[in-house]
Amino acid sequence: MFAPFYAAIADISATIRRHRDRLGRPVIGVLPAYFPLELIHAAGGYPVQLWGAGVAIDHAEAYLQPYCCSVARSVLELEMRGSAGLIQAYVFTSLCDTLINLRELYRRLFDKPILGLSFPVTQFAEGRRAFLADAAEKIIKGLEAVTGRRVSADALRAAAGQFGRVRSLQRELYRLRRERPGAIKNADFHAVLKAGFFLPVDEYGRLLEDLLVRLESIAAPAGRRPRLILSGMVFDPLEAQRLFDEVGADVVDDDFASGWRTVSKATLPVDDPVEGIATHVFGGAPCCCIHHPEKDRHDYLVKKIRDAGADGVVFWYVKFCEPDAFDRPQLLARLKQEGIPATVLEMDLSMKSVESLRTRIQAFCEMIGGLEI
Amino acid sequence: MTQLGAFKKMKELMTLYYIEAKTAADKPVAWLTSGAPVEFVYAMGAVPVYPENYAAMCAASHQSVALMEAAEAAGFSQDICAYARTDFGQDLVRGGPAGGLPAPHFLVCSTNICKTVIKWYEVVARKYQVPLFVVDTPFLHDGLTPGLVDYVVAQFRQLERFLESMLKKPFDRDRLIEVIRLSRQATGLWRKILDLGRTVPVPFTSLDAFIHIAPIVTLRGTPACVDYYQLLYDEVSGLAERRVGSVSDERYRVLWDNLPIWFKMRPFEKFFGERRCALVAATYANSWGGLEDFAGIQTRDAMEALAVSYLNIYINYGFAQRIRYLARLIDEFGLTGFIMHSNRSCKPYSVGMYRLKEELSRLTGKPGVVIEADQNDPRVFGDAQVEARLDTFIESMAPAA
Ligand code: SF4
Ligand code: SF4
Repeated sequence: MFAPFYAAIADISATIRRHRDRLGRPVIGVLPAYFPLELIHAAGGYPVQLWGAGVAIDHAEAYLQPYCCSVARSVLELEMRGSAGLIQAYVFTSLCDTLINLRELYRRLFDKPILGLSFPVTQFAEGRRAFLADAAEKIIKGLEAVTGRRVSADALRAAAGQFGRVRSLQRELYRLRRERPGAIKNADFHAVLKAGFFLPVDEYGRLLEDLLVRLESIAAPAGRRPRLILSGMVFDPLEAQRLFDEVGADVVDDDFASGWRTVSKATLPVDDPVEGIATHVFGGAPCCCIHHPEKDRHDYLVKKIRDAGADGVVFWYVKFCEPDAFDRPQLLARLKQEGIPATVLEMDLSMKSVESLRTRIQAFCEMIGGLEI
Repeated sequence: MTQLGAFKKMKELMTLYYIEAKTAADKPVAWLTSGAPVEFVYAMGAVPVYPENYAAMCAASHQSVALMEAAEAAGFSQDICAYARTDFGQDLVRGGPAGGLPAPHFLVCSTNICKTVIKWYEVVARKYQVPLFVVDTPFLHDGLTPGLVDYVVAQFRQLERFLESMLKKPFDRDRLIEVIRLSRQATGLWRKILDLGRTVPVPFTSLDAFIHIAPIVTLRGTPACVDYYQLLYDEVSGLAERRVGSVSDERYRVLWDNLPIWFKMRPFEKFFGERRCALVAATYANSWGGLEDFAGIQTRDAMEALAVSYLNIYINYGFAQRIRYLARLIDEFGLTGFIMHSNRSCKPYSVGMYRLKEELSRLTGKPGVVIEADQNDPRVFGDAQVEARLDTFIESMAPAA
């Protein structure tokens, strides 16, 4: 059932090349997070999402210090070692200080077009609007220059429909996972999400529809295993996601930037592109990287845990990610207050072995109780 | 380091400032980032407090480790900026030279130095359950545009409304204009002092500047700040006229990029002094002096001018502009090389620095070095390694003409 998704991520370059050749669209690499991919598609591009990779850092060492996160380091590594040759242009957002500087570094290092969309941080709708009006115009022009095609209203509407549909199918998958714990293996679930980073929207949508049909009759296994929620920026490394299956715990929901925080975004409103971008960036689940005083991450996470009937939270911490790290102590305190067990796993996308995480996950699940031993 | 008479005055000024901040029972206290538009806060009579400045003081007086350890014990990762950790620590144990900062009634944070301060201030806002106002001064990927100035000015208007609600009185625009005038006077004097670095030998090094920087950070907008920098200027310009150098027998003149290493001020003074190497210009000290002149940006009033000065901060620059600016400093100050501090705490300053170093060397023909350190955390500082790198660098420089 999951084979096409695993196939897509087994050789990512081959997947991208095949679809690029089929579609004749230039491949545009998108760095984390929340850039409306719809704009790229509407401009005739083929967006692929770069959330980091499990590669050893060698070339990138020259420009990114060891205290930079492995998301940034691994993406740079791919370009520097020549593994990102398919990517014709990059798109950045202003998610964090590292990415803001990385965008500048790319402009100095590479000849490819480096585009960016900075997010306004003000709470005031008017200010946001004024800022985004300029920013939207620039990014659209930039994309058009890369693809040589205009972003028409019709193309944007069509793209919004396609990407909106994909996200709503993904939400369906999330619902199944929540309602039938254990029915979908954690590794499989994340393989499906990860395939979506690289497959074009038409193909991915088809595969998702097909998968959901097949999953319709699938039932949750009998018995109750520990139910967990994962929270962090990226759900990679994928091999580590398999550990939950092996330990015998059910991940029932998540709070990943590369997962639900993106999947939760509604269909892009297109009548007013500026308003559309604002809705896209600030709508959906809260994120540690998006300042939003009206969206409290604490209440949100507690509610999410209760709604999913989860027993505990695993913080999936990619080392050196400050936005994630700042929020955690207070979040942990709140969870403690609510009587919700939580643990923190530190990782690095380039880690050679995920085995050290296994013992931690096992110990946490034992603490929660309900493991079949 | 030059023994300046003004030093005693500054000590008094800062002591008084911290005493007043801690005892101002009738006035609301605001915590601000170093690049926040404090003029609005002064205009409304609230007491501005700067956790960054306090964190630096804690490190300079060798008290930051204990405070960071307190924050780390409370769960804050060593991966986050050491200023924030020092601040969280002082708040937990009421530590540091002033015995902790007074609790805030509200917070004002500006993104011109980093995005990290948003996270830091969110933590404080949650802890104290106080409002946080963010002034967004976007990163200048493509220079300064009139649109960005308008965007910041619009936020200034909102800031006025915010302060009215915090202080429960109408905003005083006239007072603001007066405070802006005082602030500009002080930053103007600060810039004039730093510009005296063109003198050979340099009378006031970057290490001197780091020591005398506290008032421009915390008190700009007050008459006391203007008086203090006038005093300092008079003294330093006297030294410049008499050709008295801060480093005896000056041989090398270098640029310092990134924050100071606050816990190494004395050892660095000795280290560089012994090698006849003067730190002449520093992007960090310059950040309070108004930097690039942006052609094409015409400001119509004080608000717009203020918006420009808060956008116009070195670490808010794109790399092309950073390189241009650094090259200009090297040229104008007659520098023989440059030192870049790759600061584990400060990603906006440090990420990409190795590339800047390559390009700047190529462009200016001057040698440069990157040292790995941290502005506030001595635990990640390797003396032997840093000194060895600096020695190799100093040996590679041609002495000043
Ligand atoms: S993981 Fe964190 S630090 Fe790294 S790019 Fe993402 S948000 Fe930035
Ligand atoms: S040291 Fe750097 S990261 Fe820390 S508050 Fe200052 S500018 Fe931000």
